[in-house]
Amino acid sequence: MNLPGATVTTTTCGYCGVGCRLEAHALDGRIATIAPALDGPANLGHTCLKGRFAHQFSRHRQRLTTPLIRDARDGELRPAAWDEAIERIAAELGRIRAAHGPDAIAGLASSRATNEDCYAMQRLMRAAIGTNNIDNCSRVCHSPTSYALRRSLGLSGATGSFADFDRAGATILIGANPTEGHPVVGARIKQATLRGMQLVTIDPRRIELADYGVLHLAPRPGTNAAVLLGIAHVLERDGFVERAFVDARTDGWDAFAELLAAYAPDEVSEITGVPAADLERAAHVYGEAADACIAWGLGVTEHKYGSEVVQLICNVALMTGKVGRPGSALLPLRGQNNVQGSSDMGALPDTYTAYRSVTDEAVARSFEDAWGVPLSRAVGLKIPQMFDAAITGELKAMYIFGEDVAQTDPNTAHVVHALESLDFLVVQDIFENETTRYADVILPASSFLEKSGTFTNAERRVQLVAPAIDPPGEARTDFEIIKAVARALGHELPWETPADAMDEIAALTPDWAGISHARLGRSGLQWPVAPDGTDAPILYEREFTLPGGRAHFAPLPYKAPGDAADDEFPLILVTGRRLQHYNAGTMTRRTGNVELVGADVLEIHPDDAAHLWISEGETISVRSRVGRIELPAHVTDRIEPGHVFTTFHFPETRTNLLVGASADVNTSCPEYKVVAVDVRPLGEEPARTPALASGA
Amino acid sequence: MSRVTIDGVAVDVAPGATILDAARAAGVWVPTLCFDARQAAFGACRVCLVGVEGAPAPLPACTTPCRDGMAVDTEDPTARRVAHAVVELVLSELPQPPAPHTELAQVAERLDVGEPRWPGETHAPALPDTRHPYLAFRHELCISCGRCVRACDEVQGTFALAATGRGFGANVAAGLDEGFRDSACVSCGACADTCPTDAITEVSLLGIMEPSA
Repeated sequence: MNLPGATVTTTTCGYCGVGCRLEAHALDGRIATIAPALDGPANLGHTCLKGRFAHQFSRHRQRLTTPLIRDARDGELRPAAWDEAIERIAAELGRIRAAHGPDAIAGLASSRATNEDCYAMQRLMRAAIGTNNIDNCSRVCHSPTSYALRRSLGLSGATGSFADFDRAGATILIGANPTEGHPVVGARIKQATLRGMQLVTIDPRRIELADYGVLHLAPRPGTNAAVLLGIAHVLERDGFVERAFVDARTDGWDAFAELLAAYAPDEVSEITGVPAADLERAAHVYGEAADACIAWGLGVTEHKYGSEVVQLICNVALMTGKVGRPGSALLPLRGQNNVQGSSDMGALPDTYTAYRSVTDEAVARSFEDAWGVPLSRAVGLKIPQMFDAAITGELKAMYIFGEDVAQTDPNTAHVVHALESLDFLVVQDIFENETTRYADVILPASSFLEKSGTFTNAERRVQLVAPAIDPPGEARTDFEIIKAVARALGHELPWETPADAMDEIAALTPDWAGISHARLGRSGLQWPVAPDGTDAPILYEREFTLPGGRAHFAPLPYKAPGDAADDEFPLILVTGRRLQHYNAGTMTRRTGNVELVGADVLEIHPDDAAHLWISEGETISVRSRVGRIELPAHVTDRIEPGHVFTTFHFPETRTNLLVGASADVNTSCPEYKVVAVDVRPLGEEPARTPALASGA
Repeated sequence: MSRVTIDGVAVDVAPGATILDAARAAGVWVPTLCFDARQAAFGACRVCLVGVEGAPAPLPACTTPCRDGMAVDTEDPTARRVAHAVVELVLSELPQPPAPHTELAQVAERLDVGEPRWPGETHAPALPDTRHPYLAFRHELCISCGRCVRACDEVQGTFALAATGRGFGANVAAGLDEGFRDSACVSCGACADTCPTDAITEVSLLGIMEPSA
């Protein structure tokens, strides 16, 4: 592509966690077209319709172009100058900190923003405010993955790279729908199956890739642990345990092996609904392959015992020795473009960069020395705890950057109650959204096409982001905004550019020691990166990053999910994503993608639809224990009987009104994937939509 | 490893490498039209023909594997005459010269193909098919190179595009010609990205990139 007069910028896609490298062509200050970079290591010259086409949002007339201030609680927003907005934030946060202490303030960094933005945000909260109340939206997606990988293997990241799919003889794909959620990886997996890779898909829905695999298992939602224990049972029974690997490199095998006795295929079949023969075949496909991968997504993590299921995935790989070499990898498909990086950067209430605890004295000291301020040793609040604390009055102010919690977090009524209970709310975003309705100050920020920095993809690959166009109007980059707020709060962030911030990250973080913007080049580097620039496409080739270098088998039994179908709520709702839209839809709803898919629908099996007298396209009522919504039905046999599926891309659907407070026991990641619901045609029962406090 | 010489430059290549791989490694330009590095070599267009010492006739660089000691002449007069004629024939069917940013225009310029000598029938200009919000067909510009069909199969894996018609009527279609939107297409755009003529392009570029004529 040679567009006359266009400037071409090579950057990294800001949609999902695949991390496609893109060539953005800009003409007259707008994006004219985007093409894939042929040398992008994650995308190999390919992209999906989001990365390639869904860029018109960047100049949409609804973009925030000036700071907005609300003078009175129920007042209207009015445009304001930057100085006034920053002064207002500094004054309010200063007042609240003086009256109630720093822990009365909390901040959210954004998994859509760069590593440097997130690092700046956590430094602002820790050094300028003085609290560890900092979190990011990985809390509600892959925090269970991070928790489990750290406990089982050592490091919070994929053990290999997408290239391992090309080398694997088999892959188990569980709780992920990559051809919609991670389309370029989905295409890569599909091509691998066409070349002969044996794919086993495990999902309550018959996802597209199931048609390309050798076997599809459709367990009842919330029974993944039993499926994995059943597969492990068969692997053990039929002699697929790699004794030499288990003895030399792991701890805890005996306790896990003992547990497996109770998970014979017939028992597991009772729990999961998966035929025993299919469990046996899945284990054999994985066990018989010389090299095999396991990949998973939010269908694994967004459960009450999501983190335990990830530990069981690790067990399956460890017992067969299928980790730490080409073609044998554990590959969590991270959701957002920088959900890996935002957590790596320490935008978490319990850790500094690279998951080092805030209670670790030596680590805390190193940051105190670098930043010149005393730092709190008390672990801060996780996102759901922030909302609880706001309602009880302990939390007075929040600074939310790049996350629409009122649309995407579970139990919407509770979230809105929390936001309304705050004394002061700052939202920094590119559009007004459901959350900005409750903001006192809104700061106009920049999209990924307008900023520089780095994103870290699902392969731990840190890649450069470069601005193709300028922010619209008076909007500024998040990096500039956070610097200005920190300065107004009396703490200078001493960096001219994001590259300077990366130098500080590298200096304070051994695993990032060798990373600098200059060294990342066109292909990026996969952390950990040694001071000489050597990166790590494959982890654990020789030892695990746990004491003694040994991985750990967690002996975790199956436990029932937090919600279950009963007489009143007979169907199980699973929520997820569609190809054409991205998460809250903030960006994709403002592009031509709405012409392709313009609304959320409820997928329901033809048998259930007939039984409930529901026809295709009819608007229906969906009620859970906590809320009720209305949306059109889509009758399809992609979903199993007894289950229904929908998305939350459109705010008017308010899908998350239905999701309750059940969450992962270790990380508080919400159980978006198992919600018992009652589905019926409209008019059969009086509407019972709980009114939001604002009447919004 | 095999050692081959490309226009006198010696290069070592891995087993299975083609003459085109070797030429690119040696930094020597070989014209191509139906080739895209993301797809398996197709060998259909014959624009990449080169002379090989000892071979009775020119060979396609994109599908011919290197053999140790092979001596390649990329500017072999017979090969270049064929490549020139192929590009000229392709241009002779188009209703207008290709837009300068397209690969076809660039290959034509580099091979110094001017106004085609054969004033036969050309495809009739038509309005672009813009039923999809992003992807547009301009069927009159299709040269049947097959790159879009192979991108859909080998890069994306959706199999939504198909070659249609025969002879002068050869073209491409999404599904059973119901347009991108109503076919199995997932809108990835890999077809538009690889198309060397704008027969498949982006709707938003239609206004920006009118052909020079």
